[in-house]
Amino acid sequence: MTVAARAVFARRTWAGLAYLLLVLPLDVVTALLLLVTGLLSTILMLTPLGAWLLALVLRAARGLGGLRRGLAARLLDERVPAPPPPAGGGALRWRRAMLTDPTGWRALAYALAKLPVSILSLVLGGACYVYGLAALVYLPFQDDRPDNWRAVLVSWLAGLFLLLLAPWMLRSILAVERMLIRGLLGPSQSAQRLSELRETRDRAVVDADATLRRIERDLHDGAQARLIGVGMQLTMVGELLAAGAPPERLRAAVDAARDALTDAVTELRDLVRGIHPPVLDRGLDAALATVAAGSALEVTVSAELPRRPPPAIESIVYFSACELLTNAGRHSGARSATVQVTVHDDVLRLRVRDDGRGGAHQRAGGGLAGLAERVRVVDGRLLIDSPPAGPTTVTVEIPSPRSS
Amino acid sequence: MRIVIAEDSAILREGLAQLLAVRGHDVLAAVVDAPALLAAVAEQQPDVAIVDIRLPPGHTDEGLRAAIQLRRQMPGVGVLIFSQYVETAFVAELLAGGSDGVGYLLKERVVQLDEFIDALHRVAAGGTALDPEVVTQLFGRSRHRDQLAELTARERTVLALMAQGRTNTAVAAALRVSERAVEKHVTNIFTKFDLVPSETDHRRVLAVLRYLQS
Repeated sequence: MTVAARAVFARRTWAGLAYLLLVLPLDVVTALLLLVTGLLSTILMLTPLGAWLLALVLRAARGLGGLRRGLAARLLDERVPAPPPPAGGGALRWRRAMLTDPTGWRALAYALAKLPVSILSLVLGGACYVYGLAALVYLPFQDDRPDNWRAVLVSWLAGLFLLLLAPWMLRSILAVERMLIRGLLGPSQSAQRLSELRETRDRAVVDADATLRRIERDLHDGAQARLIGVGMQLTMVGELLAAGAPPERLRAAVDAARDALTDAVTELRDLVRGIHPPVLDRGLDAALATVAAGSALEVTVSAELPRRPPPAIESIVYFSACELLTNAGRHSGARSATVQVTVHDDVLRLRVRDDGRGGAHQRAGGGLAGLAERVRVVDGRLLIDSPPAGPTTVTVEIPSPRSS
Repeated sequence: MRIVIAEDSAILREGLAQLLAVRGHDVLAAVVDAPALLAAVAEQQPDVAIVDIRLPPGHTDEGLRAAIQLRRQMPGVGVLIFSQYVETAFVAELLAGGSDGVGYLLKERVVQLDEFIDALHRVAAGGTALDPEVVTQLFGRSRHRDQLAELTARERTVLALMAQGRTNTAVAAALRVSERAVEKHVTNIFTKFDLVPSETDHRRVLAVLRYLQS
């Protein structure tokens, strides 16, 4: 009972009521306007004017849809992402974009669907409030027969019931409204997927570019410079020979050349391993075992792979495992870790668990956030479970369909 | 020669300094970034500065910016750009202020120490020294392919050496022909390119480079 009574006065109820009252007249007027101009433009389709008018109608529907999204966010707390903006360009391109873009059509469908829905919700919601209030304060005292106390009591009870019912009625009406807004005013599923793909593609391009730059930098400052250094040392040997220098000086110059050459070869090998570790050719399990052996932690690896994932997936899993183990060793104070790779229902899971102090989370620009972005490029996701006292489990899930 | 070096890689900075010292040149300062280079040149007034293109902090073209600034502020000091790669846009920028007393060589040319020191001397004396690779790229990109195709093989070789900044005497020595013969080739090249022959060597280089870049 108290819940029901509290619902009558809840902020949520009043905000919802305010929303409906604000929106109802607006809905009726816009729906009728759009309907009339829409029909007019259909008739005018015989002339070039029709297409322009229709484009304007769609633009208006779109704009009103945007206003409605803002209102719903403020009063209903219903936050729907905006659909992609219309394409720019000249007038003709604008018209074409308006006529072909589903956003405008869906906004129009929303406005038209709202016409019957609005009337219905006005009738239902309005009836609850108006009739309930009337039954409490007005109806029982209409007759000049105050002795009819039973009729008064019945009226009061009915009014009370209706007023208590009103918030729930309001909520149901608003549920329909939320559904309509989500379904018709937000980005369509394909548009949302498209924007997601666009985002991850941009990310992949930026990533690839950054990787190439890093490799260029590493080669330029590392192996290439060292090889030139070797050339300089050998030139020095030539100079010393020509000058008849003592053997110790010759020896020192030859040693310096040899050392620089060894460094160059080591740097090249590290660089190659960073691009594509050769051991990955022998499978993910072998590669992960190598990583485990080289880690500062005590690492146990288990990999149950009924079939080999595609090379790109193997590579992402490998580098994810490397990064997660490095993180565990560097930040968590862990002493041991387990790396587990499984495939279930066409989803490949990499689970790295350490016994460190926990508290790991994604920070903008941090290593885990970067990893999550990279995994997203292949439609995967990163899950972190790291309570303050540990242990930390990070799971990378990547779809790995059988036939790809 | 009195020399200042700006190179951020320790191995190359020291290797270069040793080689120059072994040939009896004075390396007055070997620094790692552009501000230190400008300060060292202002203080030491060397004959020539050897400048890596990529210097800290950005490792992009700080060395080139410093070199251009040096050319403007201290025209008496020759500047040799010392790089691991050839970028014609950088060459063009460097030469925009004139071709006297500038050079652009790949770092590995140091291995031919005689030629490298020759090039340094040329730059220190107000001449030009461009890497053969620079010249090859200019030839490859030039829009004057038709005129280039009109040159004989010998003339092309002479043109390449000339564009590197070599004097007639040096070209004659490199090709083992008489200076007279080189002069004839040069005149032919200028005629085919419709250029007015210049007397001084470095003006001649500039004329050829401008022609190739235009």
